[in-house]
Amino acid sequence: MSAMMQPQIILLKEGTDTSQGKAQLISNINACVAVVDAIRTTLGPRGMDKLVHDDKGTTTISNDGATIMRLLEIVHPAAKTLVDIARSQDSEVGDGTTTVVLLAGEFLREAKPFIEDGVHPQLIIRAFRTAAHLAVLKTKELAISIEGKDREDRNQLLQKCAATTLNSKLIGGEKEFFSKMVVDAVSMLDEDVRLSMIGVKKVQGGTMRDSFLVQGVAFKKTFSYAGFEQQPKNFEDAKILLLNLELELKSEKENAEVRLTDPAQYQSIVDAEWNIIYDKLDKCVKSGAKVVLSRLAIGDLATQYFADRDIFCAGRVAEDDLQRVASATGAQVQTTVNNLVPEVLGFCQHFEERQVGSERFNIFTGCTQAKTATIVLRGGAEQFIAEAERSLHDAIMIVRRAIKNQAVVPGGGAIDMEVSRHLRNYARGIAGKAQLFINAYAKALEVIPRQLCDNAGFDATDVLNKLRQKHSLPSGEGAHYGVDIDTGGITDTYEAFVWEPSVVKVNAFNAATEAACLVLSVDETIRNPRSSQPGDDGMAGMQMPGRGRGGGMRGRGRGMRRR
Amino acid sequence: MSLAFDEYGRPFIIIKEQEQKKRVKGLEAQKANIMAGKSVARILRTSLGPKGMDKMLQSPDGDVTITNDGATILEQMEVENQIGKLMVDLSRSQDFEIGDGTTGVVVTAGALLEQAESLLDRGIHPIRVADGYELASKIAVEQLEKISTKFPLDKDNLEPLIQTCMTTLSSKIVGRCKRTLAEIAVKAVVAVADLERRDVNLDLIKLEGKVGGRLEDTELIDGIIVDKDFSHPQMPKQLEDVKIAILTCPFEPPKPKTKHKVDIDSVEKFETLRQAEKQYFDDMVQKCKDAGATLVICQWGFDDEANHLLMHRNLPAVRWVGGVELELIAIATGGRIVPRFQDLTPDKLGKAGLVRERAFGTTKDRMLSIEKCANSRAVTIFVRGGNKMVIEETKRSIHDALCVARNLIRDNGIVYGGGSAEIACSLAVEAAADKVPGVEQYAMRAFADALDAVPLALAENSGLQPIDTLTAVKAAQVKEGIPHLGIDCNDVGTNDMKKQNVFETLIGKKEQILLATQVVKMILKIDDVITPSTYE
Repeated sequence: MSAMMQPQIILLKEGTDTSQGKAQLISNINACVAVVDAIRTTLGPRGMDKLVHDDKGTTTISNDGATIMRLLEIVHPAAKTLVDIARSQDSEVGDGTTTVVLLAGEFLREAKPFIEDGVHPQLIIRAFRTAAHLAVLKTKELAISIEGKDREDRNQLLQKCAATTLNSKLIGGEKEFFSKMVVDAVSMLDEDVRLSMIGVKKVQGGTMRDSFLVQGVAFKKTFSYAGFEQQPKNFEDAKILLLNLELELKSEKENAEVRLTDPAQYQSIVDAEWNIIYDKLDKCVKSGAKVVLSRLAIGDLATQYFADRDIFCAGRVAEDDLQRVASATGAQVQTTVNNLVPEVLGFCQHFEERQVGSERFNIFTGCTQAKTATIVLRGGAEQFIAEAERSLHDAIMIVRRAIKNQAVVPGGGAIDMEVSRHLRNYARGIAGKAQLFINAYAKALEVIPRQLCDNAGFDATDVLNKLRQKHSLPSGEGAHYGVDIDTGGITDTYEAFVWEPSVVKVNAFNAATEAACLVLSVDETIRNPRSSQPGDDGMAGMQMPGRGRGGGMRGRGRGMRRR
Repeated sequence: MSLAFDEYGRPFIIIKEQEQKKRVKGLEAQKANIMAGKSVARILRTSLGPKGMDKMLQSPDGDVTITNDGATILEQMEVENQIGKLMVDLSRSQDFEIGDGTTGVVVTAGALLEQAESLLDRGIHPIRVADGYELASKIAVEQLEKISTKFPLDKDNLEPLIQTCMTTLSSKIVGRCKRTLAEIAVKAVVAVADLERRDVNLDLIKLEGKVGGRLEDTELIDGIIVDKDFSHPQMPKQLEDVKIAILTCPFEPPKPKTKHKVDIDSVEKFETLRQAEKQYFDDMVQKCKDAGATLVICQWGFDDEANHLLMHRNLPAVRWVGGVELELIAIATGGRIVPRFQDLTPDKLGKAGLVRERAFGTTKDRMLSIEKCANSRAVTIFVRGGNKMVIEETKRSIHDALCVARNLIRDNGIVYGGGSAEIACSLAVEAAADKVPGVEQYAMRAFADALDAVPLALAENSGLQPIDTLTAVKAAQVKEGIPHLGIDCNDVGTNDMKKQNVFETLIGKKEQILLATQVVKMILKIDDVITPSTYE
């Protein structure tokens, strides 16, 4: 009441929305939980897909947490952190994006009652951090190294990891087929696995099983000029020349002008131009190459010239395809045709143009230094192939991770249960409030097996109780028990080869805890009405016209929030 | 999208334009999706089989298409619904991969969805249904392999190929002259096929149509037809033993690409320039003559002066021939495409036995046909018919037949048609279902029921009692143990498809079952649909 007498101090701009205190914190938590609810059904092998349809009319059907979160276009500032952790998990390990979001949401949900009861958020944060640290240590301890096996064995193990990832995806029915393909593709690369060296080409039509792996490079036939069909389409032991220049009749200099005073000289200019291009073509032919690829156009003249000399050529090859050809065949991309020494040519044992679906593909196999692979994906619908590509990307990332960091943990919620048990044990030894919080953290971890059961339509409570019993056996033999998705019971998931690289879990625990702590540590949001709109990326532009009238409404609605 | 409220009753704005988005979740979403898929399939159901009906579709700009081809119907319908679009994609990918059976695949998928719906009503988890379907599809494909027969691929005996193509064509509007068309298609494919690599490039078969004449006048030309005529009306209309110069340069003085300018400052210079230009024309014609060409085909035009000169020097010419046609002509005649006159040599000329201008009826339209080519690796199918729609539909039908022939060259396995393969698979899946423990068993039985949809639709479209006919055939298959008993659509009097010579390609059938299963699985897996509600 005393404020009434004092002159009012205007601190913030008119219309600025500030919310603070406990209520704000709880509101943030609720928002995060609401977002998590949107993706919780996608977890696990019985997880469902989401169809997201944007206003441009493009449709995405996906099971990948990061993809869905991105497409949901979340604008709530607190909930946005969840999108970010999903994305970071995606770029860091490539898989487990749903898990990480789910965990973060569950941590918050567990923390909510404490906040409501008036516990200081910082206490919870500190306890959660400790718990996360312990969880990571425990995960590392439980991890089983797959190092030191020979190549054959190792590939088997890697396939198991890839299969676990693919299990939950649309292509799960063919997981053996694809996991083998992924492992083969990754093991073709050298130690430093660069993702760009695995090309994924999508061709509509056919079934998933028609997808194939090319131990080399494959790309779609490029635009061709008349004369192309007369070129041979099949070579054994072909030499390959890669160019980055136009093979076309053109003016050599953009701004040059020729002035003739004598019409008789006219022919000489014409001839000179022709000679330039013929000279270039001749040098290409002389180099001995049988396949000429260029990033820039190869004109009709050149096409016919090559056709006459039984050489295959393709112009306008995409940059990344050209790079892959270069690294596969050992060729160097040339920007001039002068000095085409044999060293710059690439070599492949077999080259052919083949029909794939309704497209024709150029396929290079048997390359000398095949440090690259191409997966040609087939499928019934565009969205289907797009989702298959995302799934394969996940699997490739997982295999890559597993090669670098050769330790795996049992999946199917087994590791989460074990860590949870460990934390509960640890919590008992603490005096003070932290005991409660660590217990809450431990309880939150159980969300993974619970959600797996829920999605599969099993009785989650029943399964969880069985799991808890197994994991608490003093002998420790139950540590590998997780949800058995086929029967609705529990099983030793390590024995059942449901494996995940440990780094996925470690990263998930860390990222989820970080995100939860971040949300917990915020007790005030200040939203500036004008700058928030362009600043809140994604919200700008699109939002404005649609909200024109509603904007006032919303402004008022929010006004109530100010106290 | 449902709004979330916190304890204080304040709504969250979590998702962009939250209140403008529609969201369907859970079982409701699955039901809606299945509904959409089913209704697309229902449209195509009546088009299946030899007695199937056609659809007439009018595009927004008034073009009318009459067709029986599933892929074409769906594409022209411009389906808006997302799930409907998936079905369109499904039939399109069957079209890309196989070229035939585009209706069958959609009907199968629709039946699978219908069966899935009743399973969902019983409370079976959608993914378990999808898993069961997947298992069943594997068994069905195994069964197809088992009942398939291989026939020897022989260049001299094309009968089996022709028979298979006839099965495809029998359901189309052109059914009455299916024998002729099938023969044409097979011959065309064999002509361009690379039998060793089992590779057929369909780009080398050109389909050209012209309104007028009868369907029976459709013919296969060992060469190319171009919709062009000779550049000068007085040039001879028919040439024999032609040597063709194929040029990609215009009949005019060459122009350097570099910017250029000729300074004319005196009368003499102007005269020389004119002379030089004239000289160019003369030289060009002379060079063609010297090389021995009796016909010039040019990608570009030439001006009247050149035209006159060509006429004068008795060198027939065709101008403005498109790049693709030019290429086909080069392949067909064994010639080389020549980029400039200096490069013209006798060995680069193409050879054709006969080049003539065809006139049609009383119309002024003329086309140029290049026939009896030295190397018939490129051929043309020239379609005639009463109106444009018939021609378009015939082209589509022939395309289907071509694809079938191509598939047979790639993989020579065949199964018997008339729904017999589906019935055999249905029986096999049914039998296998009993051995599977768990909920999947139900899904597999449903799959078997769904497979019956194709023979059912066949019988229904042929005016037979669907259930009676199907059960009779099914019983006969089991009793006699022969898998090639099917629906007798044409009322021939026998159910034995072997005797009726109704074949389909093995890969086509396999693809149908696998693709349909795949798409159905995808639809079943969706439990959440988020759409902007403004998008209608």
